[in-house]
Amino acid sequence: MKSIKRLSSALIYLYALAALLPLVWMFLSAFKSDGQISQNPLGLPTHFDISVFRESWSDGGLGLYAINSFIVTFATTVIVLFTSSMAGFALSRLKFRGNVLIRGVFILGLLLPVQAYFIAQNQIFDHLHLKDTRLSLIIPYTAMGLPLAIWLVKTYIDSIPKELFEAARIDGASDIQTYRTLMLPIIRPALVNVIIFTALGAWNEFLLAILYIQNESLKTLPAGLLTYSSRYETNYQLLFAALTMVTLPMVVLYVAFNKQITRGLTQGSLKG
Amino acid sequence: MKPSSKSGLFFLLFPALAIYLFAVVAPFFGTLGLSFFRWDGYKSPTWAALDNYARAFKDQVFQSTFVHVLVYILVTLGVEVLFGLILAGYISSHKRTAFLRISLFIPVMLPSIVIAVLWSAIYNSDYGILNSMLANVGLANLQHIWLGDTKTALLSICVVSGWIYSGFFMAIFVAAFSRLPSEVIESAALDGAGTYQIFRKIKVPMIQQSTSVAILLCITGGVQGFDLFYVMTNGGPYNTTEVPTTYLVKTVFANGEIGYGSALAIVISMVGLFAALGFRNWQNRKEEELEY
Repeated sequence: MKSIKRLSSALIYLYALAALLPLVWMFLSAFKSDGQISQNPLGLPTHFDISVFRESWSDGGLGLYAINSFIVTFATTVIVLFTSSMAGFALSRLKFRGNVLIRGVFILGLLLPVQAYFIAQNQIFDHLHLKDTRLSLIIPYTAMGLPLAIWLVKTYIDSIPKELFEAARIDGASDIQTYRTLMLPIIRPALVNVIIFTALGAWNEFLLAILYIQNESLKTLPAGLLTYSSRYETNYQLLFAALTMVTLPMVVLYVAFNKQITRGLTQGSLKG
Repeated sequence: MKPSSKSGLFFLLFPALAIYLFAVVAPFFGTLGLSFFRWDGYKSPTWAALDNYARAFKDQVFQSTFVHVLVYILVTLGVEVLFGLILAGYISSHKRTAFLRISLFIPVMLPSIVIAVLWSAIYNSDYGILNSMLANVGLANLQHIWLGDTKTALLSICVVSGWIYSGFFMAIFVAAFSRLPSEVIESAALDGAGTYQIFRKIKVPMIQQSTSVAILLCITGGVQGFDLFYVMTNGGPYNTTEVPTTYLVKTVFANGEIGYGSALAIVISMVGLFAALGFRNWQNRKEEELEY
């Protein structure tokens, strides 16, 4: 029995190490010259020179892409946070004509993939001269995040005893006051999940990013990396340096907040 | 509760509704509308009735994209659900598993472009580690130009997808296992059931709902899959990895066929939707049968 247990542990850890191999290889290759990489792909680097990271960050434009991604992600997340909590509150607690209809329209959004609407969206953005502006990403990312965010906020508020809100009303608070002073603090756990999947979704989005932004100085990381990888196709070391630089902060972030992020992402996907 | 004032209600709902109607609902109906026109984006559109749809049903490349995506879904489903379950089973019955939980989930966090470029390098025939590892263990005859060979390209992409999402499904199943009542498992253990038996006969059947959700995600995610295919092969070699979305993007943005592309977009969305609904229905029926 003991030996079977040891064997299964060994197999599981062997698998985990094999799964980590691509990332380790990427990291080590960033410190190898192009010649070393192509002649001995499995070899270890001989010295750790970090100047390649500086080169890829400034000359390669990675720094600029990162700043663009940060602006788009930050704006998207803040807007989703406020608009979804406001709408979620109204849809959960207030009785008005059209509540069910509006709810239904948002649920439809949980089912519609981006392919169902990006062609006409592209035309509309073209007409309004929104393409090649940051808004052309912030607006659709916000809209794509809203249905799920509203749904999560709404179900969270549904679970809070309604007497709490009625008490606030008796004390003379308006809906907007109730939302600001009572609601926002209470629903913080739901909002953490909203932040996580909205921010990661915006940070990683690829399709619209390559379709709507052609201007090199506005590209986000995913779109920028695509340009970068074709520009440095044969410059292996710079390629691996860029991949490593995008990956490492996310690994650090995940190690620090792995419980919250796992919860946010798994909840974020359990839509529909 | 009645709203305290109409303007307050409007203020709460308007921002979300406006953004959402502008960027999702209107474009959806716009795409639906465009699908009935012939349009290259420049000249004025001409009415095409259902011609675009008729063409889509005769388009052999388009049809083959669904075969590829079906293969992709079935392979990734097998790999991801199976590995996810095994890993979660191990984690939920052991202590000190932070290393496993964290390291296997990391790919889920990364932008898919990073993963696609990294794995293109792994599969690269000049400096990729896959071929050089094969050579090192004496299996040089198994070397391939992985993404350039019609026999291996699709499966190579499936492996990458499996690499990403096994960790994701693991996380879903770990959460599901942790919600199981511990009395059931303890009493089974007292009755002499082994770890494997408990896993196979009790834990896995009891999280069936999570497994269904995972399968559903695999289906909808598969039909929408784009990033890996676009970066790693862009449909090639010889269309063998062409999936609905890469073909759609080519039709609209490379060939400029906006009307036809819109029809393809609607067909793809409907197929995804019906696949998901069909699977759900089938699951519900199965559950009803189980109750008797």
